[in-house]
Amino acid sequence: MSTDTTNSTEQKPLPPVNRLTKPFWDGCREGVLQIQFCNICDLPWFPPAEACPRCLQDDWEWRPISGHGTVWSWIRMWQKYFPGWAADEYPYTVALIKLEEGPYMYSTLVDIDDRDVSCDLSVEVEFRTVNEEITLPVFRPSRGTTER
Amino acid sequence: MTQASRTELRNLQDKTAIVGVGTTQFGAIYRDLDPERSAYELGLIAFREALQDAGLKRSEVDGVIVSRLPHYGRMCEMIGLRHPRFVNVLPGEGRQSGIALQYAALAVANGMADVVACIYGNNGRSSGARYGGEDRGTTPQAMFEAPYGMTSPGAVTAMMFRRHQYRYGTTTEPLGHLAISNRANAALNPNAVMQRPITMDDYLGARYIAEPLSLLDYCLINDGGVCFIVTSAERARDLNHTPVLLHATSQASDITPVYVADDFWHEPMSQIADDLFAVSEAQRDDLAFAQLYDNFTPTMLFTLEGMGFCEPGESGDWITPERISLHGELPLNTGGGHTSESYMQGWALHVEAVRQLRHECGERQVANAQYGLYACAAPLATGHILKRDDR
Repeated sequence: MSTDTTNSTEQKPLPPVNRLTKPFWDGCREGVLQIQFCNICDLPWFPPAEACPRCLQDDWEWRPISGHGTVWSWIRMWQKYFPGWAADEYPYTVALIKLEEGPYMYSTLVDIDDRDVSCDLSVEVEFRTVNEEITLPVFRPSRGTTER
Repeated sequence: MTQASRTELRNLQDKTAIVGVGTTQFGAIYRDLDPERSAYELGLIAFREALQDAGLKRSEVDGVIVSRLPHYGRMCEMIGLRHPRFVNVLPGEGRQSGIALQYAALAVANGMADVVACIYGNNGRSSGARYGGEDRGTTPQAMFEAPYGMTSPGAVTAMMFRRHQYRYGTTTEPLGHLAISNRANAALNPNAVMQRPITMDDYLGARYIAEPLSLLDYCLINDGGVCFIVTSAERARDLNHTPVLLHATSQASDITPVYVADDFWHEPMSQIADDLFAVSEAQRDDLAFAQLYDNFTPTMLFTLEGMGFCEPGESGDWITPERISLHGELPLNTGGGHTSESYMQGWALHVEAVRQLRHECGERQVANAQYGLYACAAPLATGHILKRDDR
């Protein structure tokens, strides 16, 4: 995931940015993880959608979130489904993060050996620049002990 | 849905039957890769066989449900069906096979059609389907999962299984028992793709795909077609075979943005179990077999727990080779399932249930099969109890 892996990063799938998702990626580029919140009922949701799934209204805004969560589960991917991962990057880790605010987010884990990963591990967001437009949120073990 | 309205499911009880089934030769065409093989051709072969099996004339078919076939028009045109009065198209996902039977039964029971052919065609192997890495465009998967290399239904199931391991201490050994049992049943099924028996060493030594799941946890990727034909119970009694009645059926769901469910789909599956066993003459002990949707082996764990064969978290201990074998307390996936017979996304499991209830299964026949279960755990879940009509 880090930018020092020369050419392989460029061939990894990149998220298309559109009107709906642009604020998410703009935030990541500035080191801020934000998701949509309903201004009527305060529900947060992810992935982005055009209206609040509870109120069905489009009165919502992007709000920064804590960046804290837990590992709901994680896998090591061995199968070469996508181009872009160099041979020595396999197997790579994918984690499903349960954000403190409620929604889930797929990501990867950094600064931790796979042998130390466990479900319910406390994690916090960090950012990895891919290119000028895209910075991906990734998660590392929580450093703060009283944050949650 | 309220409990009151769910009791109305009784209205469909024993009203309709599966009267004809057809499948292509799964094993033979697995070894004969053909990039030009069309899914429609496979659907046609299965339809032709099902029609003959039922002893129906084509002109009696007035309803068609297709799945994984992009267009009903092409299928109807190819099977010479110009004026059907009930037509529907379901996407090519495994959750839809049980739903196809439900729609067909609803149509027949309510007079929308007399005879509905449910047709499935899958040329996935010949056309190079990989079931991973296809995420494109502006789907949430392409935008928020693919950048991390997250892809494929198997990887999602692996996430759920890892969580199950963490929460309940489940090991991979019960998954091995399921894979081995499926293979042993397939060895007695001349139509199955994979017939060489496997051992626990084979299972534990298989290469990882999405760890903790490995190759032998995975469904096959193969070509095939399946058709089943549904008509009224009354009409069924005049046809070729002992009718197999749709005795009880239900659908429930847990639809979330990330596919996984924190309770391993216990809520929808237990809702289905409640629905089925509330109306069914047969309870769990009366079932001759269960055909459980096994896109990946852990799905069967979640189904056994959700359907109440054991408590949540206890499926790993509940599964023993004896219990799930053809002579056991609850034979599972008697034809070999998706991991060994054929990956027909639930469709071939339905056909196997029908053939078992007709007592046509030769060496793999379960003794005295009177009632059988089909269940599919997924965000969109289904279950049926099918009944041999001996009248």
